[in-house]
Amino acid sequence: MVALPGENISVEPSGYADDDKPKFFQRWFYSTNHKDIGTLYLIFGIISGLIGGFLSYMMRMELAAPGIDVFDSEHQYLVYVSMHGLIMIFFMVMPALIGGFGNWFVPIMIGAPDMAFPRMNNLSFWLLPTALICLLISFVMPGTATEGYDVATNGFGGSWVMYPPLSTTGHPGPAFDFIIIGLLAAGFSSIFGAINFITTILNMRAPGMTIHKMPLFAWSVLVTAFLLLLALPVLAAALFMLFTDRIAGGTGFFDPARGGDPQMFQHLFWFFGHPEVYIMILPAFGIVSHIISTFSKKPIFGYLGMAYAMVAIGVVGFVVWAHHMYTVGMDVNLKAYFLAATLVIAVPTGVKIFSWLATMWGGSIRFSIPMQWALAFIFLFVVGGVTGVMLANAGVDAYLHDTYYVVAHFHYVLSMGAVFGIFAGFYYWFGKMFGVQYNKWLAGAHFWFFFIGVNVIFFPQHFLGLNGMPRRYIDYPEEFAIWNQVSSFGAQITLVGVGFFFAMLFVSLVVQRKKVGDNYWGEGATTLEWTLSSPPPYHQFNTLPRIEDNAEH
Amino acid sequence: MPSNRKTLVVLSAIGVTMLGLGFASDPLYDTFCKVTGYGGTPKIADDNLSEIIDRTVSVEFDSNVAQDLPWDFKPDQRRLQVNLGQSGLAYYTVKNVGDEPLTGVANFNVMPIKAAPFFIKTDCFCFEEQTIQPGAELSLPVIFFVDPQMDEDKRLDDVKTITLSYTFFPTEEGTMPAQKPAKTSGKTTAAATN
Repeated sequence: MVALPGENISVEPSGYADDDKPKFFQRWFYSTNHKDIGTLYLIFGIISGLIGGFLSYMMRMELAAPGIDVFDSEHQYLVYVSMHGLIMIFFMVMPALIGGFGNWFVPIMIGAPDMAFPRMNNLSFWLLPTALICLLISFVMPGTATEGYDVATNGFGGSWVMYPPLSTTGHPGPAFDFIIIGLLAAGFSSIFGAINFITTILNMRAPGMTIHKMPLFAWSVLVTAFLLLLALPVLAAALFMLFTDRIAGGTGFFDPARGGDPQMFQHLFWFFGHPEVYIMILPAFGIVSHIISTFSKKPIFGYLGMAYAMVAIGVVGFVVWAHHMYTVGMDVNLKAYFLAATLVIAVPTGVKIFSWLATMWGGSIRFSIPMQWALAFIFLFVVGGVTGVMLANAGVDAYLHDTYYVVAHFHYVLSMGAVFGIFAGFYYWFGKMFGVQYNKWLAGAHFWFFFIGVNVIFFPQHFLGLNGMPRRYIDYPEEFAIWNQVSSFGAQITLVGVGFFFAMLFVSLVVQRKKVGDNYWGEGATTLEWTLSSPPPYHQFNTLPRIEDNAEH
Repeated sequence: MPSNRKTLVVLSAIGVTMLGLGFASDPLYDTFCKVTGYGGTPKIADDNLSEIIDRTVSVEFDSNVAQDLPWDFKPDQRRLQVNLGQSGLAYYTVKNVGDEPLTGVANFNVMPIKAAPFFIKTDCFCFEEQTIQPGAELSLPVIFFVDPQMDEDKRLDDVKTITLSYTFFPTEEGTMPAQKPAKTSGKTTAAATN
């Protein structure tokens, strides 16, 4: 299972390992190497994940029992809610999946020596820590008050959706301005990254690597990059408008007193926001496809269907946004359209799920750690998908809107879908990225604590939502106490899982350092990264690989 | 690599276009709402030339004031029963309970949203800014009718009540003219006279 001595297929001429690695500072701070930048993104994602995870843990501790115990004020709780959402989305999932694995493996998988614009790649990465610092500064800036330092008014508590008027007249202090600047920086970082990925994938594939032979992870990043390029500028426009609306005597785009319409912000936000959820899940689809195929020792079932299902999800994802706003008072015909369009997305998603099942069917399956994460991903994503189909119904949504049912739904697809995809990829490529294999026992403990933990957190939230518990409140009546207590207990189990993750990192990278061969997963792993050494040379493919006609995907 | 540069230019153009569309959405959305009555924006006409038909709706009146405006604002009547095509006249009363003269402008909305295209005003206090001296009271009229064409649309068969809602906002001096909804083409009123 682990550390199979892979066969050494030499694809490089001799002397290619003389790589002239720069010194520490130049290497990590001026980096233009796609693998180094990928590693930086992963480290950044882990740090952001810790911050975002801490925020959610505090929220769960507050909600463990009725009454206000942990936080000083309702506003402070809402600040934690808002920042948890923003940090997890923009600074954990996106950097890890797209920036991390995308940078590491897209150039290698398509047989390119590096990204198309290495220096823009550097810019994309370094905009992110800048953005995160802006967000962290907003914690200590006056939010609902205009000035003064007071935990009861500091920070932005308008949730990640940032609806006006709460984000304009509701938060006159500079806290939200810092968030706008941070999100603009993160947004432009992603736009630059997207341009870089699309150019790399379209122009720099190795000879013989046609677009229909490209590995599914590269496909998923290509679709994701297009979604980023089309959706993020709209968010940027909406944020600019919020910014000028907030200036006294400024514009009134969303201010009804001056002829504006606050509902328009919701349309703009969700025009970005809905593709954004696919931006977070599509790269995970790509990773899971590789893992299922590798550990079933079979090529992926229905390769073209899989690739175009992602394209279909991306396209349809742009015309369903208003299902997030069924309760704004929408015309019934419009609701019917958004309902039908939303349900249509279940079709390409179903194609993917069934193709994964068909790939495993009759395969010789190994339940290695990455495969466990991938299988858990499929299971949890299906649970989240099914509740999504329920919520897509406008009539049902009128009841469930902004309840914990919605919270459970999107955490099943994101906190468990996307995050399980990240961990699946992390363990799958661990040896490839770091040259040493993970500690199997600690990785297994990480998986089981995490898997049980997140289910204990989020499954009871379905019950809470069906019973009508609304989201974004610091307190709740006694009748919701039991399931909230269970949910908070799940957070503690998950915390143990996170502890095992860091123990695993320490033991594997520092203590054991068990070296692995080129293709340590053996037969099923067929993409180009497995033809390189582990870790790959600093500069790979000095001579471009040729992909033969009969090569598998 | 020249082809990389070409791709870069094309992709950047796409990004900039989307950014532009984001900003352009504001005037587009505005125009769209006013022309179609979408989102509950009522339409206005010069006068009511429609035929009165035998179907009544109850028009209910609602009033709100923005929190930073010290005004008392109430409709004089809760509801008014009108036939389709018949003009209705309703009054609102607004009083400035603050200590200084203030100028406000009212924004309006109609529920259910699907009835908005058929709810037409011929005269309304909301077309102009209102300045009220401290302690002064003002009676504000609104003249409206419900387009009889509403009767021909099956989707609106269930509409028995239409709510007209106003919200008074303070105007910042000289920055903001009263909201001017687009005028209907006159097609509806002209057709109804025959």
